[in-house]
Amino acid sequence: MWLWFAKLGSPKWFYDVSDRWLPWLAGAMALFMIVGVIWALLFLPPDYQQGLTTRILVIHVAVAGTSLAFFPLMAVAGTITLVWKMKLADMVAKNAAALGAWFSFVTLATGSIWGSVMWGTWWEWTDARLVSMLFQFFLLLSVVALRSAIEDTDKAAKACALLSIVGCINVVIIKYSVEWWNVLHQPASPLSMSSDNANGPEFWMATGVMIIAVYLFFIVSLILTTRNEILQREKRSQWVQDIVRAA
Amino acid sequence: MNLKQASIFQAFVVTLKRDLLIAYKRKNDIVNPFMFFLITSSLFPIGISPDPSRLGEIAAGVLWISALLASLLAMDNLYRADFEDGSLEQLLVSPHPLYFLVLAKNIGHWLVSGLPVVLISPLIAYMINLPQESYSVLFFTLLIGTPILSLVGSIGVALTVGLGSRGLILAMISLPMSVPVLIAGTLAIQETANGAPLAGYLAIMGAMLLGSITLAPLASALALRISVN
Repeated sequence: MWLWFAKLGSPKWFYDVSDRWLPWLAGAMALFMIVGVIWALLFLPPDYQQGLTTRILVIHVAVAGTSLAFFPLMAVAGTITLVWKMKLADMVAKNAAALGAWFSFVTLATGSIWGSVMWGTWWEWTDARLVSMLFQFFLLLSVVALRSAIEDTDKAAKACALLSIVGCINVVIIKYSVEWWNVLHQPASPLSMSSDNANGPEFWMATGVMIIAVYLFFIVSLILTTRNEILQREKRSQWVQDIVRAA
Repeated sequence: MNLKQASIFQAFVVTLKRDLLIAYKRKNDIVNPFMFFLITSSLFPIGISPDPSRLGEIAAGVLWISALLASLLAMDNLYRADFEDGSLEQLLVSPHPLYFLVLAKNIGHWLVSGLPVVLISPLIAYMINLPQESYSVLFFTLLIGTPILSLVGSIGVALTVGLGSRGLILAMISLPMSVPVLIAGTLAIQETANGAPLAGYLAIMGAMLLGSITLAPLASALALRISVN
């Protein structure tokens, strides 16, 4: 069991295995993405209340769901970095922070576009989900900023690992405190926040396809950026130089 | 060698005394956050509106955000001087649990930079027309809230202590993390003005304080070990 664990931590092993998996994952991603996007944006029937804007939601829900996975992922990778000093975990975590910030931004942007039509406003402080997503975005950016400020790779890895763990706990606390704030601070919002529940089964099927597509996109991007990171950090090792020479 | 090993409590007290003594010798550390708090809060009436009733509505938020920024700017002093003269390394190699030494430094720092801000807050509250019934609420929430800000901010300071340009990064790390405290503090002031009982809010903030006393120094200690090799 420990042998398997040690193998998992070796960048070379990851590079070889991901080389074999990548075509399948990328193919599946392309399939789901094409089906999901075309279905959602061109063929989904208009909702009786929301009209065609519900098509934006399919993409928004998928990206939002995926963006919640980043902090837990980084916290787990950070724990592995701090406890077992596994280099691969940090190579994954390094790119996860920037990718997560990007996903959070897309979530906020698509949500704002939808909101500008349906709620008549681009931004609404009374919605707890908007506010906590905004602060998740800020915290992910702070991890990116800390990483770029520390020159020493090893030190940056540990510092970002710790910040990811603290940040992950904080995102949860912020989420609950913002909800609490909204319940007490504002009179009941005039906007129905559960409006997306009114959608029919076809909406949820399209969303399901889109969620799988975005998750696959997340995994493929993470693998690609991690492979890139491996090549850069292991550039002195023999096997990387062999690859470079062969290419 | 018959050096008697000091107990954890003695180490705690010595660290705390040392920091207080240094602060007493360099009085800037006490005066600066305090002045910063005064200046920032007096900018709000100029920037927003001199109208007393409008100021009264936002006074709680103004005081809390000014206190938060004052605490953030003061935080930079927490480990920097010790890092530069090498005494931080002495702390790290001492046989005592780093948790207690970090906690002592945090408490010492709050006593010289946080407490004066809390004590002056009623005066500024008067200047920006906070409603009369909110004075005690403001005072008690700041009294419980500013140590939480120091304890949580200490993690960010410890992570960035060795860096050249750390000011902005420290703000990026610490400010989002202070959201829950800010919410609890301002909500307590606004809701008690509407007639809600204070005890519940103080209990929640007290729980946050106990939680951060227990966990934050552990993270700070680990962060110091990472930053200082």
